[in-house]
Amino acid sequence: MEDRTAKNPEIVGFACTYCTFKASEMAGSLRMKYPEGVKVIQVPCSSRVDPAFVIKAIFEGADGVFVAGCHPGDCHFIKGNYYTRRKIAALKELFDAFGMKDRLRLFWVSASEARRFVEKVTEFYNDIKEKKNAG
Amino acid sequence: MKTGIFICHCGHNIKHTVDVKRLSEFFGKLPNVVVSQDYPFVCSEPGQDLISESIEKYGLDRVIVASCTPSLHGEMFKDVLRKKDLNPFLLRRVSIREHCSWVGDDIEENTEKAKRLILSGLYGVAHQVPLEEKMVEVNKTALVIGGGVSGLSAALFLSKMGMQVYLVEKEPQLGGVVREIRNVWPARTSGAKITGDMEKELRSRQNVEILTSSELTGFEGFFGNYEATLDTPAGERKIVIGGAVAAIGFAPFDPAIKPELQYGKDPRIVTTLDLERAGELALPENPRVAILHCIGSRDEQIGRPYCSRICCINALRVGEAIRERYADSYVESFYMDMRAHPRGAEEFFEDTQEKGVLFTRGNIGEIVPAPTGVLLKGEDTLLGETFEREFDLVVLSIGMSYPVDSQKLATLLKISLDKDRFFLEAHIKLRPFDTAVKGIFIAGSCSGPKDMEESINHGRASALKLYGLLNLGYAFVDPFISFVDPKRCSGCRMCEQACFSKAIKYDEEKKVVHVEEAACQGCGLCNATCPSSAISLRGYYDAILDDEISAFLEAI
Amino acid sequence: MQGKKIKNGALESALNTFLAEKEYLVMGFEKDASNVYHRVFKDSLDNYALMSPVFATNGALYLRRLFAKGAQIILMLRPCEIRSYVELVKLTQIEPENIIAVSVDCFGTVSSKTEGDIPAGEALKGLTKDAEKARWACANCRERRGVVGDAGIRIDANGDYWALPYTDKGQAFLSLLEGETSEAPAQMAIGPAEPRPAFQIDMKEFTKDFSKCIMCMNCRDMCPVCYCVDCVFNGDEYLPKGDALFNKVFRAGSTGMPRGKELFHLIRMYHVSQTCVGCGACEEACPQGIPLTKYFKGVSERLQGMFSYMSGRSKDEIIPYLTFIEEELKDAED
Repeated sequence: MEDRTAKNPEIVGFACTYCTFKASEMAGSLRMKYPEGVKVIQVPCSSRVDPAFVIKAIFEGADGVFVAGCHPGDCHFIKGNYYTRRKIAALKELFDAFGMKDRLRLFWVSASEARRFVEKVTEFYNDIKEKKNAG
Repeated sequence: MKTGIFICHCGHNIKHTVDVKRLSEFFGKLPNVVVSQDYPFVCSEPGQDLISESIEKYGLDRVIVASCTPSLHGEMFKDVLRKKDLNPFLLRRVSIREHCSWVGDDIEENTEKAKRLILSGLYGVAHQVPLEEKMVEVNKTALVIGGGVSGLSAALFLSKMGMQVYLVEKEPQLGGVVREIRNVWPARTSGAKITGDMEKELRSRQNVEILTSSELTGFEGFFGNYEATLDTPAGERKIVIGGAVAAIGFAPFDPAIKPELQYGKDPRIVTTLDLERAGELALPENPRVAILHCIGSRDEQIGRPYCSRICCINALRVGEAIRERYADSYVESFYMDMRAHPRGAEEFFEDTQEKGVLFTRGNIGEIVPAPTGVLLKGEDTLLGETFEREFDLVVLSIGMSYPVDSQKLATLLKISLDKDRFFLEAHIKLRPFDTAVKGIFIAGSCSGPKDMEESINHGRASALKLYGLLNLGYAFVDPFISFVDPKRCSGCRMCEQACFSKAIKYDEEKKVVHVEEAACQGCGLCNATCPSSAISLRGYYDAILDDEISAFLEAI
Repeated sequence: MQGKKIKNGALESALNTFLAEKEYLVMGFEKDASNVYHRVFKDSLDNYALMSPVFATNGALYLRRLFAKGAQIILMLRPCEIRSYVELVKLTQIEPENIIAVSVDCFGTVSSKTEGDIPAGEALKGLTKDAEKARWACANCRERRGVVGDAGIRIDANGDYWALPYTDKGQAFLSLLEGETSEAPAQMAIGPAEPRPAFQIDMKEFTKDFSKCIMCMNCRDMCPVCYCVDCVFNGDEYLPKGDALFNKVFRAGSTGMPRGKELFHLIRMYHVSQTCVGCGACEEACPQGIPLTKYFKGVSERLQGMFSYMSGRSKDEIIPYLTFIEEELKDAED
């Protein structure tokens, strides 16, 4: 357990029910592989993600956090993800001020984009892992 | 708190890569957990009985089912709780299959991950409170959008089951593309006869209203009580319906997208659909005819990577027809792979070969219209040789493209599109007729290429699913809407300003806001906007999400 | 811009005329031998000071949840205080109908904790250049000019005072003053602030700076734009106490206390990111001497800059998190 977390990153993701969580379900159904360190919390819409959750996750030990929702213009709730975009972009700016911008990512993954989901989370995981093992 | 945890093996699906025994033992030792069991199929009847009995035996007030993804079997497990008078929102589903056992191979890693996932469910559900389920009456009325074969079959089925049906068709006539097919394989009858018979039967029924030259322009409400706005020749019309089947078919691929096909520039280059529509062909007595497969299919470059499923059969039909009509004809079919998949199609392929159609596995590199004929230059991929041959007629066996209105209708119905812009089903295997929106089903080729038989079946199946929902006569409305704690509300009106559903209202007297429940869609933006979380989204409280995060990360 | 040059004593007499009305109030500063304080004047001015070179609290703090429409109030405050006021108006924490907000040019302030003489005269004019004396917030202020609110009191290069109107209410304020309007000089004694480099800091330094935090939350309580009637940090989610603390320990293992210092400050930094005016009231309130302004002001300026927003600049600017533009932030996605 100890050396597992020492080398392998923990990634916490927030995924909206209608797009990204659906894509993650499909990724599972299609037996696509991605690292175990990636764990997803289901939220109704990416706009439910309070930036405080992201900050909390980082300070509780997450190596990376991603917020993922429907592509802009495709939100099930019509406009939620535009607000997400502003808030998470601002949060990334905040993280940037502290030199930890690389620990937060924002993805748009529609319900059909299982492969994109896997690619995005795997790339994030690998980037974090590389930095973690380098430092 | 008395939590019961039921960990599903899903046969081998979970058990194969997750140590379910270790999990059930681990959780059995945690405080607040009174029963923790793993079971081969929790969704089976004995599995459900196990939950029921445990609720009774241990007086459970929280239930966790760790199994497949929550969008599967959702209502079924909720019913288990309902029958035991336990609020169904005290059930927590944890996905350890789609999000764990199927995405990782290492049993150690997977087991640790599953442990975290279940733990987050355990922490989360502890903050959950019983939520009031509003039962609403369901209108036993259905809307079928699209009057092709799948829409017609869906409408017929629903009508026969006693539902009031509205069938909306954009075109002046019913029947879709099938109506234009002269000789449907393997029925050997005209498409117009098939759709005509269906239309006749439908028109004879009392509980069906057919609206042609009409379009859906608005769609509001929720399952059981949707309000659809229709643009009809008689003007705008609003109807209330319980649910809908979207069956808007496909758009025939337009070969003009690929200029190298020279389509539209030479009358000797036609599509399979052009042939159905054409009158007498001006061909010599011994015509040389080329048939090109996979036009607008299996073509990554133009965003159509999929197989359209119908074009090989269409190519065979054309080859056969020409050979039968012109005894001295030369017919050569150029294919990538022959995909004659329906029942009897392989025999049809052999018959056609026997009738003299030549099949060449090859890629056409260049099409050059010349005065004496159309020159095809390509490569025979079996022989590994290049060829140049001249033809009097080149038939493009075109595939299926997404329906032109798919984006528009998806936006109206709030359903998703797949990467090829067809409608996306709720689950690729287990819920192929459903969408993510309750009461909205998809049928026929608008959810991906299908042949006629499949489209008819798909239409019936979607109709059956919709009928099953509507026939209950009632539905539960999701209670996931926001509410305000007026004692904590600062009245800053940030949530009100952000809410794009206009569901939040400010009380000038009390200086606090409240939620208009009917207007709230449950996105949770207000909750994330309020700095003190005085407004919360039911079911997704801060405490739940906060603790779910902790469960993933804290040392155990 | 048209304004009124203020003759000697004219401002005080105008405010006194205003105060002569029943239920009319002026909020500004009162000076005594050793200090300058905020004061709400009723009936007449007494020991009135136009400026306060000492910063203890942000005056907008006292205006929160001011909803009464009866009293007419003139605010004669620092630009940072008027900017906080504007943000609180946007947040429905102040009913602005009967309030005239006047921002007064500011030469900067010293901390209320500073011993010794209150800077005056030339020493005051050059205060912001004196990094030893001036508060960090003032030395790095982005708006010391009285250009916000309904009207401003500006000082020209000759040391003459001008009243400039920015809204209809500002015009009403000017009509209290005797004299005719004339064209005010374009150049004033205090010019616009120099742009500052984007705030950037190492996480290690942040951790070190905030290790001293005792979670008294004075910074929050004194923050003019931290207006929540019940802060999320009052609950057990972020700073567990008693049972909640020990449950957490049983669940996750031993823990240092107070828990969640960094979390508290970063989340609060996000909460006030668009509304923070950089006044430094938080730092003034901190018993531990944590350089809070550097962080809060630095972060908020960066985050406001993303949306070309400046807190308190105008009541018509929407707080960025409450709106959006479809065609923006195309590169936000990773």
